Amino acid sequence: MEFGTSGSLSEDGIHVDMDRLKKGEVNLGTSIMAVTFKDGVILGADSRTTTGAYIANRVTDKLTRVHDTIWCCRSGSAADTQAVADIVQYQLGFFAMMNGKPPTTQTAAAIFQEICYSNKDRLSAGLIIAGWDEHHGGQVYAIPLGGSLHKQPYSIGGSGSTYIYGFCDSNWKENMEEAEAVDFVKEALKEAIKWDGSSGGVIRMVVLTAKGADRHLYLPDTDYKVRHT
Amino acid sequence: MAMFSQNPLMNGPNYSFNEGPKVNAPEGARQHRFDPYTDNGGSTLAISGADFTIMAGDTRLTSGYSINSRYHPKVFKIGGTTADQHDATLCLSVVGFAADGEALKERLDAICKMYQYRHGKPMSVKACAQRLSTILYQKRFFPYYVYAILGGLDEEGKGAVYSYDPVGSYEREQCRAGGAAASLIMPFLDNQVNFKNQHVPGSGEGHALQERERKPLTRSEVEILVKDVFDGAVERHIEVGDGLQMMVITKNGIEEIFLPLKED
Amino acid sequence: MPGFDFSNYNRNAALHAQGVPLPKATSTGTTIVGCIFEGGVVIAADTRATSGPIVADKNCEKLHYISPNIWCAGAGTAADTEFTTALISSQLELHSLSTGRKPRVVTCMTLLKQHLFRYQGHIGAYLVVAGADSTGVHLFTVHAHGSTDKLPYVTMGSGSLAAMSVFETQWKAKMTQDEAVKLCSEAILAGIFNDLGSGSNVDVAVITPDKTTLKRNYIKPNERTQKLKSYKFARGTTAVLNEKIIRKEDLGNFVSVQEIHVAEPGDKMEVDV
Repeated sequence: MEFGTSGSLSEDGIHVDMDRLKKGEVNLGTSIMAVTFKDGVILGADSRTTTGAYIANRVTDKLTRVHDTIWCCRSGSAADTQAVADIVQYQLGFFAMMNGKPPTTQTAAAIFQEICYSNKDRLSAGLIIAGWDEHHGGQVYAIPLGGSLHKQPYSIGGSGSTYIYGFCDSNWKENMEEAEAVDFVKEALKEAIKWDGSSGGVIRMVVLTAKGADRHLYLPDTDYKVRHT
Repeated sequence: MAMFSQNPLMNGPNYSFNEGPKVNAPEGARQHRFDPYTDNGGSTLAISGADFTIMAGDTRLTSGYSINSRYHPKVFKIGGTTADQHDATLCLSVVGFAADGEALKERLDAICKMYQYRHGKPMSVKACAQRLSTILYQKRFFPYYVYAILGGLDEEGKGAVYSYDPVGSYEREQCRAGGAAASLIMPFLDNQVNFKNQHVPGSGEGHALQERERKPLTRSEVEILVKDVFDGAVERHIEVGDGLQMMVITKNGIEEIFLPLKED
Repeated sequence: MPGFDFSNYNRNAALHAQGVPLPKATSTGTTIVGCIFEGGVVIAADTRATSGPIVADKNCEKLHYISPNIWCAGAGTAADTEFTTALISSQLELHSLSTGRKPRVVTCMTLLKQHLFRYQGHIGAYLVVAGADSTGVHLFTVHAHGSTDKLPYVTMGSGSLAAMSVFETQWKAKMTQDEAVKLCSEAILAGIFNDLGSGSNVDVAVITPDKTTLKRNYIKPNERTQKLKSYKFARGTTAVLNEKIIRKEDLGNFVSVQEIHVAEPGDKMEVDV
């Protein structure tokens, strides 16, 4: 097995090649984010998956359900993040059955962190966990590469996030209305997709509130203006 | 690819792809690499007869798993005085790195032309063969990455084939295969052209068995052999295919024949 | 002991350290595709297997059986695709025997991804999984590292770019079976002719809820060209330097002999006449 070992740009001259990523591994180039708002939380992501310069999937779903109103945004290795999310989904399902009530977002985030931290030398997974629960409403937790856990009002991640730190910092507001928050996420991801070569495709969102999970889809054909589902 | 998660700065600055620090180099050292060569695949073949020489090559040009061209000739007429080379008497085949092949062909062609203009007669194969060797050796430490074969008729009108390694070692031979499928073709040629490992049935026992007498093949026999050789190579080598280009050099000039090959 | 045999690991590591190259595995440098249509799913593959630049097998099978209603197209290391699909096929058979239900495509996909993830990409199997079950018709890709995708049309292997260009220009939603078969074979043909790692023939499998049809060598666009001459040698051309005859009854002195009854001779090897 060959491993990519440079910490610099690969031959296509665009992407940063992490030493930890195995050669030929499927990668979520990615722009992901999650924001809290008045009634809950919104997760958003682009839909591009790459192997080197090739787009392996242009309509990827990087927003993954781990419980009814706890979801995660995945970035990094597709294989690693899918494996971690599958384990957590199992654990949370088991938790709900044993306790007869749904887990809190914090519980989910703690399970994610446990896996990411104890396998930090083997995983390349950058995750954002967002959820809504009865007690705490909408919450966002970020778990970057080393496996640390950060509770944040909103979080951005993936290669595309570099381009939108300024945008998010200037436009973020506490306790937004749902429509306003959706617009914030959409505009941020539009910029990330525009500037980041390894992000692209459609914009997917999930709105988590007391009413449950609501999926949004925005296509580039209509300049991400029209909601499709 | 891609930077991860929260803090993009932890992945270091954004290097341009040719100035990033390379690993596997000693601490503090920066390794630079220059890869000027590519292998463009393909195969060539030359067989000399009593009064003719046939040179052939497939016309596929590859890099990696891709086909760059389905018609890129590897066999060239050399030393003619016009653009269409109608009065040329020599042929050069080049296989290996296509860009070097092109450069080598142009160089040798120019030299042969100069000779013709200076001396009022075309260069002999023998002289051209020696000159080609010199050209190749002049680039001993930055070689033309090609396997060249030169074909023509010698002073006595017999077919002549000269084969080369990339740095100019050469030899006159009866037949030679070059390029990607050379290792597949050459043993077959030894057997079918020089009748190696063939004996006369019933002429003796064990070591006393007589070897089959060597007779130069006729033109039509060679043409058939070349077609079958390339059909065989196409079956088992992925870089050979698309078209077969043949040059038949006789005292009446050079005839060019093109036959299709499988394209998969 | 089940599992892999690591007894020669240290020897191989020592040899490798001395500069001996690793043995080259036969790779199915491959084009494989899959496409969902109204009422079923089609998968297709080329039939060339390579070892470096040499064609190792001109007509190999890359469509693997998982269960009667689930089939798999494999790219990557030939042995890995062969053994991985066989292993998961066996596990699914036992699973459906113990549950009394027909296996599901997601189950197959999950078993494959968990197996491949455990081996961190060292098992070089790239698979297109397709099938029909009680929940409907499904199509997945599974990469060697264990990631999966669910899409209406997919391609994998070295010819995947050539094949995907066909899908991206000609695919449409709600195709008929015939349209899907045609589109998949055209995608494979694009791989066969434009990717050096792919070649020879097109194999197709059509899976619908009621039945699976395997069309082996559905298109044969690369028949061997007839040789212009016979290369048959006259008897006695090869020199015989020495000769020793061992009679059947004396064979036991040299090797242990066991009579095996052979029922049917297998496929004949392709030979020149």
